[in-house]
Amino acid sequence: MRGLLTKIFVEVRWPVLLFGLGMSLIMGLLTMLLPKVLGDIHRLFERMSFIKPLITALLGVDPGERMTAGMSQAFLWVHPTVLTLMWVHEVMFCTRVPAGEVDRGTIDFLLSLPVSRWKVFMAETIGWLCSGLFILVSGFSGHLLASVFVRPEMRPAMLTTFYVMTNLFAVYLAVGGFAFLISACSDRRGRATGVVFAVLLASFLLNFLAQFWDPFTATTPTSSVFPGIPGSADALPEAAVNPLPGFMRDGLADTASSSGQISVPQKTGFSLATISVMDYYRPAIIIQSGKFPAADVGLLLAIAVVTWTLAGIIFRRRSICTV
Amino acid sequence: MSVICTKNLSRQYGGRRGIQDVNLQIGEGEIFGFLGPNGAGKTTTIRLLLGFLKPGSGSAAIFQRDCWSDSPEIKQYTGYVPGDVRLYPWLTTRKALRIVGKIRNQDLMPEGGRLAERFRLELDLPVRKMSRGNRQKVAIVLALAHRPRLAILDEPTSGLDPLMQDTLCQCLREMANEGRTVVFSSHTLSEVESLCDRVCMIRDGRIVVDESLESLKKRAPRQISVMLPDSAAAASISWPDFMKVKQIRGSFCHLEMVGPSPDFLRWAATQDFRDVTIGLPSLDVLFREFYDLSPSAESE
Repeated sequence: MRGLLTKIFVEVRWPVLLFGLGMSLIMGLLTMLLPKVLGDIHRLFERMSFIKPLITALLGVDPGERMTAGMSQAFLWVHPTVLTLMWVHEVMFCTRVPAGEVDRGTIDFLLSLPVSRWKVFMAETIGWLCSGLFILVSGFSGHLLASVFVRPEMRPAMLTTFYVMTNLFAVYLAVGGFAFLISACSDRRGRATGVVFAVLLASFLLNFLAQFWDPFTATTPTSSVFPGIPGSADALPEAAVNPLPGFMRDGLADTASSSGQISVPQKTGFSLATISVMDYYRPAIIIQSGKFPAADVGLLLAIAVVTWTLAGIIFRRRSICTV
Repeated sequence: MSVICTKNLSRQYGGRRGIQDVNLQIGEGEIFGFLGPNGAGKTTTIRLLLGFLKPGSGSAAIFQRDCWSDSPEIKQYTGYVPGDVRLYPWLTTRKALRIVGKIRNQDLMPEGGRLAERFRLELDLPVRKMSRGNRQKVAIVLALAHRPRLAILDEPTSGLDPLMQDTLCQCLREMANEGRTVVFSSHTLSEVESLCDRVCMIRDGRIVVDESLESLKKRAPRQISVMLPDSAAAASISWPDFMKVKQIRGSFCHLEMVGPSPDFLRWAATQDFRDVTIGLPSLDVLFREFYDLSPSAESE
């Protein structure tokens, strides 16, 4: 195993370091810039009405007319650049073995060594988990460092941020498990990568589409409660209703929304968004409720375990043909 | 004791032919040559032995262990050189020896260094800067550095210059002298002829010949050229049964003979020949017959 891990480390250290730095930089920049941008978001909502559903889809909750500090922090964690960086890294990583190795023919060298395929797969998994954690922690470090330069209200609350990161890591695991599964069934890395990206993109777009059209269920897009969280903004923790401070106060609400309540789509069972991975990653709800999203994390972990196990079994049992 | 034993080993690629009922028994210390034209099934057989492919039916065992389920244990004592060597671009021979050494729990640097020196291989040159021949050498060094009990080499000399081919042959002979086994595939007869104790030939996924080199040589035809006084004599001469006329050109006759030469010499002594040239038994001709056997010839 030590030899395999050394090989993986030598192969991926620079890309992972770059992804980590990139994530740190982006999170830092977003931490500093988002409050400014989001502070004026109500003007944008007035001018371009389609922007709001898009942000609602990303956040999973209706931000109302004004952005709160909590919403701003939540937006940071669902920013497309952040998600893209995580996903690009893991799709690249999880399609290395066996699809990548078969594609470039190096699997012959790898499998001619006295290691079982299961060990090869486990070593890749360790690399995938460690690199994912590294990138996630790098992003958080960037966020933390940059928060020194913003008002105290904008600084991340450690516990809720930990919950959000756990949820994001669960998304990372589910997507990675799926990528491993596609890779295990494929001999071409390009094809495997394409399939995983296509599914991710479809999942992402479904989440947006569900805001406008859902054939499965009737939604109440302006319901005044969080799903499963009773009460209104009055019952929300302080972070949820904390206004954005100082330089952006003009455009920001003193409460969660102009009406004092935050509205979220009320799910009434199966909806189009249910089949999107984004439906199980809602930082806005976590930050505002302060509760650990156990059901979402549980489901994502279950997907990860099932797909990863299947991938391992297929890789162990399949014939490897490079000629 | 058999190092390799396959019983009715078969493998199909969907609708395409792979190999069919391959039976092999390879003993310790043997240098076993695996011959066949392109696409005959040599690489498929090797990949089945290494556990890369799952057999469709039949079984394959190395050191009495199943090639599919006990593959990692088998590879502890096996070295493999693939036909088309592809290595990680960032890999150098030194790094490779370190990584493979860690995996094998063995310090490969001393033996690997010696082999690299023998093959004139730079230890710190990355694979991306190497020629095909040098990549082949890296694969050979990695396959032999742990002093395996069995070396499986798939067309190992392709890409090597003649000097390095000789070095490789020497290494393989040394291995065999130490009681270790060598299996190597090729479609170049001369290297099989110069190196192997036993030859197996595969065609269309089936084994058509599996014999010692000695016994094959006995079956191999000799090329004989005879010069007669004139073309009339060449046209009118009646040849004995053990000779086959290939071509008559003027007073020159080109013949083929299977078996020992004394019979021919006794008969030739009674003839009015101006000159006679007797070649060595040619495996090349024998193998060409196997290679080129058309379906019609096969049915005959």
